[in-house]
Amino acid sequence: MAVSMPGGDVASRLSGYLDGLKNRHGLEEGEVEGNVVRVVVAPESVPQVLATAKAQLKVLHLSFITVVDWEGSFELTYELLDLRGGTVRVKTVIEGTEPVIGSVTSVYPTANWHEREAYDMFGVAFRGHPDLRRTYMWQDHFDHHPLLKSFDISTKRTFEGLR
Amino acid sequence: MLSEERRNETVALDGTASERLARPDIRSEFGLETMDMNMGPQHPAMHGLLRLILELDGETVMRCDPVMGYLHRSQEKIAENRMYPAVVPMTDRLDYFANIHNEHGYVLAVEDLLDAELPPRAEYIRVLMSELMRLASHIPSIGFLMLELGAFTPILYAFRERERIQNFLEAITGARMMFHYFRIGGVKADLPPGILEEISEYLDGLEGRFQTDTVDLVTGSEIYVARTKGVGRMTPEQALDIGVTGPPLRGTGVDFDIRRDYPYSVYNELDFNVVTDDAGDVAASYRVRIGEVWQSIRIIRQVIEKMPEGPVMADLGRRLRPKEGDGFGRVESPRGEYAVHVVSDGSDSAYRVHYRDPSFCSMQLLQEVVPGHYLPDIMPIMGMIDPVSGGWDK
Repeated sequence: MAVSMPGGDVASRLSGYLDGLKNRHGLEEGEVEGNVVRVVVAPESVPQVLATAKAQLKVLHLSFITVVDWEGSFELTYELLDLRGGTVRVKTVIEGTEPVIGSVTSVYPTANWHEREAYDMFGVAFRGHPDLRRTYMWQDHFDHHPLLKSFDISTKRTFEGLR
Repeated sequence: MLSEERRNETVALDGTASERLARPDIRSEFGLETMDMNMGPQHPAMHGLLRLILELDGETVMRCDPVMGYLHRSQEKIAENRMYPAVVPMTDRLDYFANIHNEHGYVLAVEDLLDAELPPRAEYIRVLMSELMRLASHIPSIGFLMLELGAFTPILYAFRERERIQNFLEAITGARMMFHYFRIGGVKADLPPGILEEISEYLDGLEGRFQTDTVDLVTGSEIYVARTKGVGRMTPEQALDIGVTGPPLRGTGVDFDIRRDYPYSVYNELDFNVVTDDAGDVAASYRVRIGEVWQSIRIIRQVIEKMPEGPVMADLGRRLRPKEGDGFGRVESPRGEYAVHVVSDGSDSAYRVHYRDPSFCSMQLLQEVVPGHYLPDIMPIMGMIDPVSGGWDK
């Protein structure tokens, strides 16, 4: 097998991940809960933190990116799996209503579509993304981001420019 | 059956996609242009509604750009506007070939928020249902792959088996497709009397029939070997970078299965192997699926043997108001890693629900792996992922 899997028991590996991230980056919070390393970082340092996780700590799999609209700020969760029971959960909060954050596609190429989906649903702009288009909604004539809390489901939407 | 030399002759493509693309560019020499082509959204061989924008050089695909959203129902927004238990039937509509796994991921996430303790019988019933569902998804997926390659017979045998398994699922849940069987805290109802003996009897017959009607029929077939060997080849690093999970990832040799590595329910009490292959092509993912069918049969037999007595629902109260915070559920669906992230604000409906669907993530390989292949190879590569429209479009 070409990909080397992490060995050893989960607990020591997880504290290794936490120390590895702590030594290289300024973490706002960092703790081990069960089989999860949960860290909170500033939005500017997300690409570097994930680059450390992939290159130095060998956490190879980005599972998903969740965006939560807290009406005034956006919380992003990056879920990383080391494929052997350990999880690294990187959280960040972007203040404001027009979120911008660096893209992690150069670190985890699978983030490409996850970031496109986040842009489509929440309008989060990922700086440095190679191809930031909508995934689900119409490319043209649709100016809304449906998963924002300000998008009321009972309101009728129009397609500006079409009719 | 093909001889070994004949099998090697029929290898359509060799090397990785990037190696093939690096061949001397004859287009500039002869002043040739590429052609843009639309495939879908309505296409007889497509797994649902998907449009592929293709750039062709002769019959070689230079660029493949999937356009999604034809079946988008905004399941995540719907989930924010319903109370927790009322989201479970909606998850059935996501990946409609793995309904049980969708329900399982969601209820695990909410139970994570509630710190719920489940009765053992409920957990065993969940595993039983999951593995029956996996059989009902893996066996037809092999049939679909062959259907797309032009062999009609395997799908008939595959659907005969799926039909029988659906009869069991119907007997247990009361529905054929949209089960709504898992509840937050357990399952809807206990198993009907005698069903375990019937399933056990059915598995005895299935083992023989699957070997003769699918494995023996497909594995040596010339159609199958010529169209799948070397097609869609990925390295393990590439597969992980693309975000592929499930049988295509295990087909590249990465030994990763949520059931063993991130155990949920009672999978850590059961004995099974994670099937891997090292070829990394369509044929490898087919062999992994075959192996997983045998493993599922093995798991179901153990579950039937160990099935404990007792209640099937935990008492969590009438109205669910989980504490504030995040809940995560992660299951191995037939297509790969299916994960659910539920964010609670303390009210009786979720503040945010996010589904990580394996079809959606694995389909990125259409952009990365398809370039360099011939146009007709797109369908076997789709068969390798076995995506479901309701899954990638949410």
